[in-house]
Amino acid sequence: MNKSDPLRSYSIQGDNVDREWRRFKYPQTLVKYGVLLSVLVFFTYSVHYLNIPLDRIMGMFGRLGDVLANRYYPPDLGYIANQEYLDAIVETIQMAYLGALFGLLFSIVLGWFSAHNVSPSQRYIYPIARVITMGCRSVHEMIWAILFVTILGFGILPGVLALTMFSIGFAGKLFSEEIEAIDMGEVEAIRAMGGNHLQVFVYGVFPQVRTAFTGIAIYTWDVAFRAATVVGFVGAGGMGWYLKRNIMQIETHRTAAILLSIIVLVVISELFSAWARIRVSKAK
Amino acid sequence: MPNETPATTVDDIVRSRKKKQRIQFGFYLFLLGLIVWSIKATVIDDTDWDRIGSLADIGKSISHFIGIDFSLIPSLLGPTIETFMIACIGTLLGFIICIPAIWFGALNVTPFKSVTYPMARAAMTISRSIHEIVWALIFVSAVGLGAFAGILAIAARSLGFIAKMSAEAVENIDPRPVEAIRAVGGNNLQVMLYGILPQVLPIILGIVIFEWEINIRRSAVLGLVGAGGLGLVFFRQMHTFNYPGVTTVIVAIFGLVLIGEVASHYSRKALI
Repeated sequence: MNKSDPLRSYSIQGDNVDREWRRFKYPQTLVKYGVLLSVLVFFTYSVHYLNIPLDRIMGMFGRLGDVLANRYYPPDLGYIANQEYLDAIVETIQMAYLGALFGLLFSIVLGWFSAHNVSPSQRYIYPIARVITMGCRSVHEMIWAILFVTILGFGILPGVLALTMFSIGFAGKLFSEEIEAIDMGEVEAIRAMGGNHLQVFVYGVFPQVRTAFTGIAIYTWDVAFRAATVVGFVGAGGMGWYLKRNIMQIETHRTAAILLSIIVLVVISELFSAWARIRVSKAK
Repeated sequence: MPNETPATTVDDIVRSRKKKQRIQFGFYLFLLGLIVWSIKATVIDDTDWDRIGSLADIGKSISHFIGIDFSLIPSLLGPTIETFMIACIGTLLGFIICIPAIWFGALNVTPFKSVTYPMARAAMTISRSIHEIVWALIFVSAVGLGAFAGILAIAARSLGFIAKMSAEAVENIDPRPVEAIRAVGGNNLQVMLYGILPQVLPIILGIVIFEWEINIRRSAVLGLVGAGGLGLVFFRQMHTFNYPGVTTVIVAIFGLVLIGEVASHYSRKALI
């Protein structure tokens, strides 16, 4: 970061020897403080713009604790311990599983197309694939769920499709980054022997990234499951619908129980995915 | 033959390979079974195919969304800025409340290992496992509608990711500067300020910028539950069945996220 020679700051003329070593010199410090100042000004202005009542913040946290302790506290566990809710949990798992699976199938291809170094056509296919993955990623999974519910009606299928779009965006980016970091020697060897783009991908690229892809796939499932717990909120099936219903009816104790079950399930899925990823990276 | 060592023969290798293949085959079969079962349960049994109708009907529903409502564009500017600001302040607040979580959650600096470490880890897990929409709902019920609830939701949601990655960075530091400062008599605070912080600060800032980029995306939906920003406009357009307006909002979100992505890319590059 610091390109100037640190020794140069010791001026040797006369007595005024600068004994103090500083990491940043004059023009750099100016830029640094300028950036810091503008960031600060921006934050102050946004607090003003958004009308945040700074003086009431502390009281708000007290109220938050109050709300949690009085209204949410004893979670109504009896409500979630029935067959119907368990079915919803299974539905959520299936939805996450299918969504991640379909998304991964697409994102392997998209990851290949949007990796700069092995993309079949850097001028046409690369930017198109890039825009597709970015579009899938920039639109939040809730918005995808709303759109698919509008088009297809209520049910699990819109949820699956929303999670598919989400997984395409999520895994596509990670896949392409992984492909961009491969050793190009093998790719060149296969190209030198006259392999076409598909052969280059299948024999040169894929074997190098297989382990990483498996890890990413497991991680995608984990993240998709986290998203799947709430896409039901807009009518896309699974546990989210229970959450929505109880929030709307201000059944806070039941809501607390549902939130608790979501946390427990997510922690389980996270532990499972961490265990599976460690196993995959060891089994290399 | 008494002193023959149990050498691995070709048969053994073939057998173990076959066993491995069988396990693999079984695993793939299991996955396939899961897929078939899930597809049957969700797509075939649960879907209301009459509601969806034919492919032409789907095409018709999709075609509602094609087009851009230009009359909406001037009124989009305010919510876009609001969304952007919610993401920025939310990330900053998340980073601030995250500092104790990083301190407690890194094994090598946590003050009381048996108490503070599990505490910080639990906070990170809860923060990450609750979706931002749910966080927003909790905060809306506590502090009322408006941007502030969105900021708190973003902050609560970013805590987990920032703290987890940063704590890992703190755990992976080079221990020699720390030892050097302790050797010349530095106390714990000095060790932290001069031994640990300079090593992890660029990494933590990189993580924060990455999270900021994700938070832009998140803050765009918080309006769905009444936390202001573009999500509110989206919701309104959706409820008034102004489908070209919906597309316009999505394009605005896309543009904002694109700006965030480019900015994050270059600022992270400048950091390293």
